[in-house]
Amino acid sequence: MLGLFLKKRNALTSGQKEKMVHMNSLVEMRNITKKFPGVTALSGVNFDVQPGEVHVLLGENGAGKSTLMKMLSGAYEPTEGTMVANGKEFPRFTPRISQENGISIIYQELSVIDEISIQENIFVGKLLTKKVAGISLVDNATMKQRTQEVLDEIGLKRSPGTRAGQLSIPEKQMVEIAKAVAFDAKVIIMDEPTSSLTTEEINHLFEIVDRLKKQGKGIVFISHKLDEVMAIGDRVTVLKDGQYIGTYPISEMNEDKLVTMMVGREIKGTYLQDPNRDYGDDIIFEAKDITRKDNRCRNISFQLKRGEILGFSGLVGAGRTELMEAIFGAAPMKTGEMTLLGEKLNIKCPYDALKAGIALVTENRRVTGFSPFFSIKQNLIQAKYLKESKFGGMTGLINKKMEQEVAEEQRAAMQIKCATTNQTITELSGGNQQKVILGKWMASDPKLIIFDEPTKGIDVGTKSEIYKLMRALAERGIGVLVVSSEMPELLSTCDRIVVFSDGKKNGEFTSLEATEEALVRAATT
Amino acid sequence: MTKAKFKSFWDKFGTLSILVLMLVCLSIASPKYFLTADNFKQIGLQSTVYILLAFGEFFAILLAGIDLSVGSVAALVGMFIAMMLKAGVPIPLAILAGLLIALVFGAVNGILINALDLHPFVVTLGTNTIFRGITLVVSNGSPVYGLPKAFKDMSGYVFGFPIPLLFALIMAVVLILFTTRSVAARNLYALGGNKQSAWYSGINTKHYTLFAHMLASLLAGVAGIIMTSRVGAAEPTAGDGYETFAIASCIIGGTSFFGGKGKIFGVLLGGLTIGTITNGLNILNVSSYYQKIVMGALIIGSVALEKVIGNSVKNS
Repeated sequence: MLGLFLKKRNALTSGQKEKMVHMNSLVEMRNITKKFPGVTALSGVNFDVQPGEVHVLLGENGAGKSTLMKMLSGAYEPTEGTMVANGKEFPRFTPRISQENGISIIYQELSVIDEISIQENIFVGKLLTKKVAGISLVDNATMKQRTQEVLDEIGLKRSPGTRAGQLSIPEKQMVEIAKAVAFDAKVIIMDEPTSSLTTEEINHLFEIVDRLKKQGKGIVFISHKLDEVMAIGDRVTVLKDGQYIGTYPISEMNEDKLVTMMVGREIKGTYLQDPNRDYGDDIIFEAKDITRKDNRCRNISFQLKRGEILGFSGLVGAGRTELMEAIFGAAPMKTGEMTLLGEKLNIKCPYDALKAGIALVTENRRVTGFSPFFSIKQNLIQAKYLKESKFGGMTGLINKKMEQEVAEEQRAAMQIKCATTNQTITELSGGNQQKVILGKWMASDPKLIIFDEPTKGIDVGTKSEIYKLMRALAERGIGVLVVSSEMPELLSTCDRIVVFSDGKKNGEFTSLEATEEALVRAATT
Repeated sequence: MTKAKFKSFWDKFGTLSILVLMLVCLSIASPKYFLTADNFKQIGLQSTVYILLAFGEFFAILLAGIDLSVGSVAALVGMFIAMMLKAGVPIPLAILAGLLIALVFGAVNGILINALDLHPFVVTLGTNTIFRGITLVVSNGSPVYGLPKAFKDMSGYVFGFPIPLLFALIMAVVLILFTTRSVAARNLYALGGNKQSAWYSGINTKHYTLFAHMLASLLAGVAGIIMTSRVGAAEPTAGDGYETFAIASCIIGGTSFFGGKGKIFGVLLGGLTIGTITNGLNILNVSSYYQKIVMGALIIGSVALEKVIGNSVKNS
């Protein structure tokens, strides 16, 4: 208790020091506290953006980054604290104040409209007009010219008339940046801008960020990837569980220090995996010659031993997710046989898989992972109800007492951070949502769990918790399959890794043999 | 009352408040005729068919879909039963057969939606016309009169309380229990809220879509039986356009058009609201031509009012 108190005090003083140094902030947030019913989302946070700097905002999911940014955009009102823009103090920002002071947010989920051109996307809702004979007409020529200027400025080699649907994801992201630039944004907030980019695309993004910086714009950069933070940041503000840890120059930081501040504990590079362990011959799951009806994966065979975690590597679209969908019954098979704990499986749909004891934690949480209007509790109980009732879930009654027990049990086991399990699941951070989904499957007592990109968009601390959960499941004799595009994740969690290339199995490595180079080579040849 | 308290009050009692407001206004406008025990029974009777149709419609809308064919199914089931009764089939058997027919038509809707992967709007827009057409064909376009007295008595009174309304209220209790206590209904809510995640959680989305549409038709069939019993005859054009009232009852009752949200109790109040509007307009002697205009405006108005109040509370 005392330790926490001291840490908080230190954090506050260092924050105050920062404030003394900079006098001409573009925006500043002083001593911000935000309370929601039952939860304090932020407490005593200081944050400011200077012209010509990249200010990194770092923290685990649920640390309060989004809440803080929503106050900058005017969506939320601080419970306590002062907001300052261009030297003027406000009790809160409205969306209007935010806009007038040049604050622009580029969200993780891009808002580019596919059906219209780049130029129209940039000027959507703010079309330029000219008067011809007293009538206001859309001024396409000026908009085109202005768009071209902005595109040149940020280095997107596309003509303003190109339909946005033809653009790649990084290009769409650049259109969003162009939009901010076109309307003379002074502060550009980028929410995890690199989450879906390749290394090369990230480098290009960083060049653009550098250019914007030199023009005197202030950039707020939100990311989980520490190497990027070190590469691009000038200063970093760290939040932990809504507490303000402090603001520091990047030059005084290293990755280890950042991790320790974010999670308040050391995280080791490897996760409880023992390369020399012999798993014997107790095969719990076996797949033979699986080919999907649409041929997106072909002739796949593999075995999973008790206690093992088996990883699946390869490029996106190489057939890994596709194979898992087939095993789970979400996509039809042409050929293939599966055995789980000695029993032959006949799976035609996800319901069969659930009944047989197979669970799939899907890649895209929001789309395929949870029921958005359900409470945490209702989500946690869903699979158990379905499994225990007959005729596809048509029979069976709600049992509030059991619901409560299961919810509390999973909440504790998965370490779900919430005020109560009656909260709607959408109020949780991504990492906690993932834990709910995992808890939902665990409540159904599965024998094989498939993880598809289990830590996508999840912060370092929660990641390590999920890895530990995965290992604990394997130790309990539950089969664990992991599909991941993050090689360090596979290398540090899996006992064996199967590599896919173009719908086929193209290599298998034990944790001793596996290196990033070997996996890449197998995936691309 | 604080804003937060008012919000939770409005969430719970918004529809009820609108209904009460309407009752108060009509009582003031016509205390002599509106504000009588007999008239309230009348409102209940008039609402019964709307309520039952709306209960069915609720399940279609809960899945982010819609069922435009409920009015036609009601007419068709009524017509079949009337013809069977005329042919001498015993009442219980005729009713059972009528409900079976309703289930079959619901299955037709569900199967078409599933097999063609079409939006329920398109499918039921088509089947609505088809079912109405079948009714006209089998009846040769003319009403069927002279039904047995016992059948007509089914919509009489018990201890001075209208039986159809009593039946609707029992139905409401059954459905409230079903929607709040059964795993099947929980699965329907999950499917309505997010179809993809429901599928990946093991819920067979096609089976549940079929189930919801069969349930919608079954309840429409029940409405058709009551309609026919009350009138004492089966009209081939009965229930024409009633899907509008069913949908309106759901929406007034707070069912989300986007699926996954809604309560049976709200739909019950929604149906009573629609019944009250119809009754009130009759009492105030509004001509049936104008009634349509006023009815439409009141539907939009009552939903808008709920939304405006709800929003103003939310934003402050």
